[in-house]
Amino acid sequence: MASPPPVGRHWVLAITGICLVLGALLGVQVHTQVVRGETEVVRRTSMMWQMLSEARALGERQNKEIERLRMQVSKYESEASGGKGLTKLVSEELQSSRAATGLLPMKGPGVELVLDDSTMKVGSGVGDQDLYVLHDWDLIQIANELWAAGAEAMSLNGQRLVTGSAITCSGALVQVNRTTVSAPFTFLAIGNRDNLMSALNIRGGTLDGLRRLEFVVKLTPGEEVMVPAISIAPTYQYAKPALQERVP
Amino acid sequence: MIATFALPIAALIIGFVLVFRLPALPPAWAPYVALSLLAGFDALIGGLRARLEGKFDEAVFVTGFFANMVLAALLSYLGDKLGVDLYLAVTVALGIRVFTNLGRIRGLLVTTRHERRQNQQASGSE
Repeated sequence: MASPPPVGRHWVLAITGICLVLGALLGVQVHTQVVRGETEVVRRTSMMWQMLSEARALGERQNKEIERLRMQVSKYESEASGGKGLTKLVSEELQSSRAATGLLPMKGPGVELVLDDSTMKVGSGVGDQDLYVLHDWDLIQIANELWAAGAEAMSLNGQRLVTGSAITCSGALVQVNRTTVSAPFTFLAIGNRDNLMSALNIRGGTLDGLRRLEFVVKLTPGEEVMVPAISIAPTYQYAKPALQERVP
Repeated sequence: MIATFALPIAALIIGFVLVFRLPALPPAWAPYVALSLLAGFDALIGGLRARLEGKFDEAVFVTGFFANMVLAALLSYLGDKLGVDLYLAVTVALGIRVFTNLGRIRGLLVTTRHERRQNQQASGSE
């Protein structure tokens, strides 16, 4: 018979003590997990609240800014229509500044360029799918070539490209001026049509490479291309005009 | 049998309830406490097995319990500091031991029951 030899009642006491410690440890652990779960929920909620209120505040600030600018414009315009010396000059200055910052829609001769992903069947060629879709860097190169060829105003899918316009990648889509756009991409550029056309069609250039991989590339010159105004005016949080240095 | 285990089970529940009301530990400690818990259960089940095998020794049991708990936590802490997932080693080793010991305990209980029945049959046939 394999009945345990007498070791006394002490073993029950020992196990009882151990169980007390184990139970305490279990309690601590469960409590910690419960508290951790709660604090996580609270933390996330407050984070999202903060983001929401920040976004709301930003929207409000921008609305006020729009209102202020509209008032200013109408004031200037009504003064300018009086056509008196200095006001007329200021009005002209204002127009050209607004044109430069992209606050005015522009029209003029130029080109229209429509791009879309490759028509090659994926798997029919070498390499992976990445080769046959348009990327942010393709668009950056084209924009750069257009500027270099003397484009004076440019837009991509309705987003005016101005100082500070960034073309970035966001997953499968592309962002321009922090607005998401997707293929087909349409560039509108105002400038010398012949220069723009030949700059884009240059052998070994971006379009040449895209055509080789059977991307959809439609480049057409236009008599009058309309480039829209920028949708959100740039705000300056850090940069301030250094007027003192320029005006004696 | 049930009366024997009433005391340890009550102690388990009392310990749990007592500590549950205390403030929680820093969340960073949670993994170490969890490993200590595993080590503690391992020691407990090992003790039960030793008891059934008739090799139970209080001193070995109690020191083993505390030493293993501290070691398990210490080893995983060291692993974290060194960038090695040593807690995995602790978890696997202790987990296997718990299962092995549980299997052994089950086997011991079944054999004692069989022996008892055989003894009864033997005495009945006489």
